[in-house]
Amino acid sequence: MFGVLEGRRVLFVVGKGGVGKSTVATALAVAFAEQGKRVLLAQMEPSRRLGEFLGRPGESERVVEMQPDLHVLTLDGESALSEYLALVLPVRRVQRMVVESKLYHHFVAAAPGIKELMTIGKIWYEEQLATKAGPKWDVIVVDAPATGHVLQYLRMPSAAVEAFGPGLVRREAQKVMELLVDPKRTAVCPVTTAEEMPVNETTEMYEQLRDRLRMPLGVLFVNRMHAAPLAPEDVPAAPADATPLVDDVLRCAREETGWTAINRRYLARLREAVPMPTVLLPFLFAEEFGLDEVRALMAKGTLQPGPSAAAGSV
Amino acid sequence: MLERLVRDHRVVVCVGSGGVGKTTTAATIALWGALEGRRAVVLTIDPARRLANSLGIADLGDEPRIVDPALLATAGRPVRGSLAAMMLDQKNAWDRLVARHAPSDEVRERILKNRFYLNLSQNFAGSHEYMAIEQLCLLCESDAYDLIVLDTPPTKRALDFFEAPERIRDFLDRRIVRWFLMPYLSQGWAVAKAMNRTVGFLFRKLEEATGVSALAEVSDFFSAMSGMFDAFTARTDVIHEILRARSTAFVLVTGPEEQVLTEAEFFSERMKAMQMPLGGVVFNRVHEEFAADPAAFRGGAVTRGDEDAVRAALLAAGLPVARVPWLASNFVDYQQLARGEALRLEQFRAGLSRRVPFVTVPNFDTDLHDLASLTRMHAHLFAPGAANEKSGPVSADDSSGHARKSRARRRSRE
Repeated sequence: MFGVLEGRRVLFVVGKGGVGKSTVATALAVAFAEQGKRVLLAQMEPSRRLGEFLGRPGESERVVEMQPDLHVLTLDGESALSEYLALVLPVRRVQRMVVESKLYHHFVAAAPGIKELMTIGKIWYEEQLATKAGPKWDVIVVDAPATGHVLQYLRMPSAAVEAFGPGLVRREAQKVMELLVDPKRTAVCPVTTAEEMPVNETTEMYEQLRDRLRMPLGVLFVNRMHAAPLAPEDVPAAPADATPLVDDVLRCAREETGWTAINRRYLARLREAVPMPTVLLPFLFAEEFGLDEVRALMAKGTLQPGPSAAAGSV
Repeated sequence: MLERLVRDHRVVVCVGSGGVGKTTTAATIALWGALEGRRAVVLTIDPARRLANSLGIADLGDEPRIVDPALLATAGRPVRGSLAAMMLDQKNAWDRLVARHAPSDEVRERILKNRFYLNLSQNFAGSHEYMAIEQLCLLCESDAYDLIVLDTPPTKRALDFFEAPERIRDFLDRRIVRWFLMPYLSQGWAVAKAMNRTVGFLFRKLEEATGVSALAEVSDFFSAMSGMFDAFTARTDVIHEILRARSTAFVLVTGPEEQVLTEAEFFSERMKAMQMPLGGVVFNRVHEEFAADPAAFRGGAVTRGDEDAVRAALLAAGLPVARVPWLASNFVDYQQLARGEALRLEQFRAGLSRRVPFVTVPNFDTDLHDLASLTRMHAHLFAPGAANEKSGPVSADDSSGHARKSRARRRSRE
């Protein structure tokens, strides 16, 4: 799917709240599963919605099988840390005493980013799991939290390597960091819509990812693209004796052409600021956005190559 | 309509999930207040650049800035009050809070440089929310404004906003903090262990397991802060009072999408449980459904199967033949979308108390990012006639309104 993503095993789907990030992550996971890949969809925030998409209510903190090739895992920093402590503090009573103490909660808040590190660490853990036949997961799609927050997560491993004293955490952080910057295994896929706020935020995030985090980039998803074949000024004027129906048809046409124009304008700005291979996902006119729409979404995506591909290098 | 809500309250807090138009709604409400003669201020969190430019707050400031009255005049109505705007800078707000309460420069510097403080002020869950509320208190305490509209940070969890003050207070709880204040802690766990077995033991285990030696930093932070706890506790009481005052109203902003509504539902349930009445609900960017003549369209609704009939009607009206197929298919697409939205909104409203005013704002054919365009929203949030004259461009919109009464309303009459 989308050539550039071929072979990447961990895809971080990131973006501003409200642009459809979780929907795109789910659609990607479903699409990979339908290609016969064993897929893990890792959510960094619980979502009640996902279960509905996949026909399963509720949420969970362990790996749950949704359909034969698609599993879902909800990540939670605190429980990941407790799990980790369970590994390194073998005496159950000591573990409980530590985890249940109020001091522990202060410690977790105080030690900068330890929860974030543990969450990302859990993804690394799943990535390196193997069966006799090879890696347990062909692809791990990570539905990351909203932008500002996700950068904190992704920054954590390298910060930890620098800040923490030698010890288990630092060793873990080192491994996690190697995964995050490995272009053979990892790719970050931003999701946005072609509107003012999301485009601004995506541009800033892209610069962070490229310059500070130096993470390998995958494709950029531009969601909810309107695609009217007319410009707003080409919508005919209402005849003098127009019926309410005709009036309303023209109103809908103005709305659709108006948003198409907005989308095109911001897409042009986005393509200039974020030179990545870009997948345009159409706005879907559906009464309800359910599993059928999620399934259809990736198939309806159109790829626009990044600038390097235009020069023939990809 | 929300005019009474705004008229009867001094503080209006806009809440809701990210990307639903909270900032735009907050700015629109404040602008209306200003046009109505109030001395209004809007505290925004993360406005679109165009809106920030339009309000004259493109750079972060510590103080609200008065929006140029000449700009307000572009809203097309006589300006009777004033509008000020301010953008919240979270980090700066924390630093100022510390500066306000710190007993000496030396203590202030010690806190501002502390790594634990840096983490707390930026990453602590609820920290952003707390600062928004803190800023709200400052505005309430000043006599400069009689309408204060607060935009809130996009919450991951609905409760973050209301729980933030309590969470910060619990965090700074004296009983726990006492442990951190024991002077030997700053010397490390080895000494701590000798003095207090449990605390020392816990710290040692944590440090061993993680390699993090945050102990000294934490201890230093709390000892520097120790003189300030009473000020913080007093502050949370003030906050509590303001948030629950009769002069404060909460407006829930939501979109018609399933996911957003699920969040909104959760939010309004929680508010009910906390006995904080919802002052109003704004359904933003709604695609309106056409109320078709049941004689022409079965059930009074245009569905996918009606595309031919729509096409025929357009041709009969003399619209350009080449445009007709797309116009018709776009229309049935929109009707499909609108029907789903109407059903979801109806379900959502069924769960709301009848007394909660709600308004529906249509999806405009453009995005609203400047001061003048915000007035397009006014006609949908506030009843006309409140002002002396009606603004021009909106009434054109209303002319087709009679044909587009919501399906929900029709159904409730049946």
